[in-house]
Amino acid sequence: MATFGLQLDHVSKSYQGVLAVDDVSLSIPHGQFVCFLGPSGCGKTTLMRMIAGLEQPTSGTIALNGRDITAEPPNVRKFGMVFQSLALFPHLSVGDNVAFSLRLQGRHAPERRERVAELLKLVRLPGLEKRAISELSGGQRQRVAIARALAQEPQVFLLDEPFSALDAKLREEMQAEFRQLQAELKITTILVTHDQREAMTLADSIVVMGEGRIQQEGAPADIYRAPANRFVANFVGLSNLLSVEVLDRQTVRMGASVLQVASSLAPGGEAMLSIRPENVQLADPALPRGESNVIEARITSVRDMGSNMEVQLECEGRSLMTVVQPREWIGVGAGQTAHVWLPKDHCRVLAA
Amino acid sequence: MSEAVALAAEPYAKRRSFGQALILAAPAIFLAAFCITPIILLIQMSFAHHDDGGLWSPGFELTQYKALADPVFLRVVSFSLLLAASTAVVTICIAFPAAYFISRMRRRAQVAWLVFVLGALSLSEVLIVFAFQVLLSSSGVVVKTLVDLHLMATPHSLYPNLGAVVICLVYLVLPYVILFLYPAVSQLDEEMPQAASTMGASPLRTFFLVTTPLMRGPLVSSAALVVIFTVSSYLTPLVLGRPETWTVGVHLSNTAMDAGDMPLAAAQAVVLVTAIIGLLALVRRLGGGGRTAPV
Repeated sequence: MATFGLQLDHVSKSYQGVLAVDDVSLSIPHGQFVCFLGPSGCGKTTLMRMIAGLEQPTSGTIALNGRDITAEPPNVRKFGMVFQSLALFPHLSVGDNVAFSLRLQGRHAPERRERVAELLKLVRLPGLEKRAISELSGGQRQRVAIARALAQEPQVFLLDEPFSALDAKLREEMQAEFRQLQAELKITTILVTHDQREAMTLADSIVVMGEGRIQQEGAPADIYRAPANRFVANFVGLSNLLSVEVLDRQTVRMGASVLQVASSLAPGGEAMLSIRPENVQLADPALPRGESNVIEARITSVRDMGSNMEVQLECEGRSLMTVVQPREWIGVGAGQTAHVWLPKDHCRVLAA
Repeated sequence: MSEAVALAAEPYAKRRSFGQALILAAPAIFLAAFCITPIILLIQMSFAHHDDGGLWSPGFELTQYKALADPVFLRVVSFSLLLAASTAVVTICIAFPAAYFISRMRRRAQVAWLVFVLGALSLSEVLIVFAFQVLLSSSGVVVKTLVDLHLMATPHSLYPNLGAVVICLVYLVLPYVILFLYPAVSQLDEEMPQAASTMGASPLRTFFLVTTPLMRGPLVSSAALVVIFTVSSYLTPLVLGRPETWTVGVHLSNTAMDAGDMPLAAAQAVVLVTAIIGLLALVRRLGGGGRTAPV
């Protein structure tokens, strides 16, 4: 059955016996914006390079619109790619860099000029054709690299940590611009990043990678709300991970307390309870609410971050962190005891 | 590249201390004593008066420079330049891919290759030239193999001729050029050719459209190195060539030693040195001007 989009089927890559990418199967529908998110060395760049054709998978197949392209070299696939180093050609002007693929296609000079002008306008660098690459700022180079990769109208657009070299403010501007550009062009786009904020704000869907495997894939909000395992809970945003014992499908035991949870694993085993810091609520020390999952905790430290307060707690011998808005602050200090509420719907139980 | 280096060095130049000046004095004195002084003496001698019997007397006359217009000398000069240029082309065609592939090997293989290249460099020119003479002679291994393969009917010597001269000169300069290109090639950003391939460039087009232009500076400089080395070569054309394949070097030596005309030889040498300086200036313009590779 011919499917529209990019399919990876049991793709693995090993270097001298070391698995860099371990049995990855993935289907990316046409026009989607996907982020490969993971720490360095998780295999995300290797996976992208295999999609571009720059590396050959040790096993597995890669297909585009139902056609097997595993054996095709990169110059036949012609997926536009923006490298981490950008790899702009220093011996060519901005215009010639952007026109590189058009020249290879044998397009005529007037047509090339028109297309280059159009692309430079698209990335908001109109009229810079004659400039040398060395005369551009970091953000401008970034845009030239994007324009150059788009010139050939690629079926798949690949970006390897494209914004990591920019300073924080420029990075956010470029991300917002790029999101808009991608939505306009509707090209299947894969962006590799280790920055979870970048992945959360840009992508339609995130593929979290760790140790060469896909740890979880899904919409950014789903991955944040419902991490599938410890790795994802730890890597995507901050998580409190508390060791618990599973009692049944709805309850777990943490030390002396029994907690209600939304869903759990098979009873009897050791497990991890995961809850986001912003979902842990501090209750008034004198008046514990009549809710389940309210337990006593000792405050070990309070950090006032201005926009919010970061509170470290200790309860049942486990450390726990919460983030509180200043207006909800109950005014307790380090060393005091308080009650914390772990709302049932936010408590997720993961395998230990 | 040189501009970037100059810019980076600027703040240091301002705080140049007495100690640094002292350190720089040693090479400056050495250069003045053993390079600049002989050149001045050479220039002086080129204007001197030629007496019979290999003697000359001080003076100022343009006789020698007028004699340089001699068609034989001009033919020798143009032949030398042509020989040097073709040697440069052949050498780079071999050395550039060689340096590229060595730089892409694993560390240990790279070291082995570089030691091998350095080893070739340690042989004396005299040894190499006479080894080529033996190798290319009618009883040499090359001729024997050709006869055994029926590629040559009857054994005959493969020298003296132009081919033998070029082959030997290429062998002599090849290690220099490989070692010269190696650092530049190893610093070549691997992502540049990869970017070209994702834009649809075949490996061959990538090599000519991206890799070679990125290496323009080092390639032009190494070509100049070969030309300078070859244009004044002496032993190789003398041993492996015929009189019509003799270079300026051989001609110059004949003028000085056989004809005993030192002032004329000096004038010829001055022309040679000037030509080389002019070539270096040209190389600076070609390799350094405009946009160059960040290597």
